[in-house]
Amino acid sequence: MVATAVRNNIRTLRFEHGEMTQQVLAEQVGVTRQTIVAIEKEKYSPSLEVAFRIAAVFGEPLDAVFSYEPDAR
Amino acid sequence: MNMSFSEKSAWGLLIGLVIMSWWYFPRAFAIVDASDGPAALGAISVFCVIGLVIFEAVYHAVIAARGGEETDERDQLFNLKAERNAGFVLGIALFTLVGRILATSAVPELGAMTALVIAVWILFAITVSEISKVLWQIWYYRISS
Repeated sequence: MVATAVRNNIRTLRFEHGEMTQQVLAEQVGVTRQTIVAIEKEKYSPSLEVAFRIAAVFGEPLDAVFSYEPDAR
Repeated sequence: MNMSFSEKSAWGLLIGLVIMSWWYFPRAFAIVDASDGPAALGAISVFCVIGLVIFEAVYHAVIAARGGEETDERDQLFNLKAERNAGFVLGIALFTLVGRILATSAVPELGAMTALVIAVWILFAITVSEISKVLWQIWYYRISS
């Protein structure tokens, strides 16, 4: 799939949170692990609600986790 | 391949529908061509539906037992997009069928279609549309994983 214009730091944040697994993050966010994989690889843009939930898991504001870079597609 | 429950479900539905179509439609068209009537068609239809239901029930029980049944927004989005695309396929197929029926009055050599033949063609169109739906679902899953 064409990469989305939404960039993220999920991999880094998982590392900084004790090497949190994708499965644990998925369970805390309330999505499947495959969706976390797709978001992390920037092949799927999450809904705003899921994006907020991911940021909340890491205790970060939304723009510390996600950024919008349309030219980087 | 790392697949979610919904993607595995789509694969199962694809396999079931393709096998069903491969078995059912050659027989159904042969029956209506031979004018064997609705009883023979009904018999193979019932057999086919029961076979498909059993296959899907067993398949989904197995994949649910092996990995849970959770779905999320991504599954819903891909399902909706696939349904939208399948709707186009169904529309085109049905308009083609209507055109064929109407063409009979303009070109009598084509021969009139009986109600049974039309029914089988409608079922064929619905099945093709369903197969296209699961193919679209699988496509969306594969390109985003």
